Amino acid sequence: MTGLRFDTYDWHGGREAMLRFGPESGPIVIAALPLFEEANRTRQFTCTILRALADHGIGSILPDFPGTGESVVATFDATLADQRRAYSELIQRLGTHSYALSIRSGALLDTDADLTGRWHLAPQTGADLVRDLERTRAAAGKSDRGDEYAGNRLSPEMLAELRDAVPCEDGRYRVVRLDADPRAANATYAGAPLWRRSEPGNDIALAQQLAADIAHWIASCEG
Amino acid sequence: MLVIFEGTSQVETTVRAVLAEILGLSADRVATFTADTPLFGALPELDSMAVASVLTELEDRLGILIEDDEIDGEMLETFGALVQFAAGKALV
Repeated sequence: MTGLRFDTYDWHGGREAMLRFGPESGPIVIAALPLFEEANRTRQFTCTILRALADHGIGSILPDFPGTGESVVATFDATLADQRRAYSELIQRLGTHSYALSIRSGALLDTDADLTGRWHLAPQTGADLVRDLERTRAAAGKSDRGDEYAGNRLSPEMLAELRDAVPCEDGRYRVVRLDADPRAANATYAGAPLWRRSEPGNDIALAQQLAADIAHWIASCEG
Repeated sequence: MLVIFEGTSQVETTVRAVLAEILGLSADRVATFTADTPLFGALPELDSMAVASVLTELEDRLGILIEDDEIDGEMLETFGALVQFAAGKALV
């Protein structure tokens, strides 16, 4: 049964929604979208990757985290610590080999979890994310808007956490980038950075290539 | 002299690619841009939020840092101005 279905998971601070694709046994991939606006721009693309993973026989989960997606936690009340905790507790409850599939600043959420491996697409540091937010706010001519960044109200605590946050590269780790990105990567693929477009978009060919990359990598980790 | 020229054309290629990929413009369309092609204010796709995305992507691809006080209407006015600005930072 590879069809999309909705589910929920509980963590210390509440209950959050999640999507599931593919089988529920075997290694499970946990997808983490970027934070804030980039999540909207990459959600459909990420779901395409997860559907392709299901075709490879690999199950996956796309969870909300406190303060993201359908969460009842307001953006202003969200903290990186809570999001990381929810992520970690989800992994604990799954009790199976779990692999992170983290996109851009989503890589800041999987840092504390007991994962078998982490696969990152164009990971972004928290410092770069904050710089992006501040630049977007300045470009909109609203540099004195207090706690609002491109439509998101962020708490000082969250901003402070983000400024220091970096992705985890320990253990089994694979980083993939687009080929115009000069930074170090285990592999690069041709494609436009969907997270930088103003509208949500998709790249089915790239999604399928990335799914194949993940599937092969997981097989090598499991083997 | 030859090295600088080659470097500039590489920067120009990067600026074309970034404009195409970030703004969702076709490669054909961006290939028609000349030094005088007007950008900010003329391209509806290049609104102030897209400016932020374009500049950040240029930073990442060219390995440069653009300070907030360097961002003004002049460097975004035409394709040539943007290329010149980026080349000035990248080819130091």
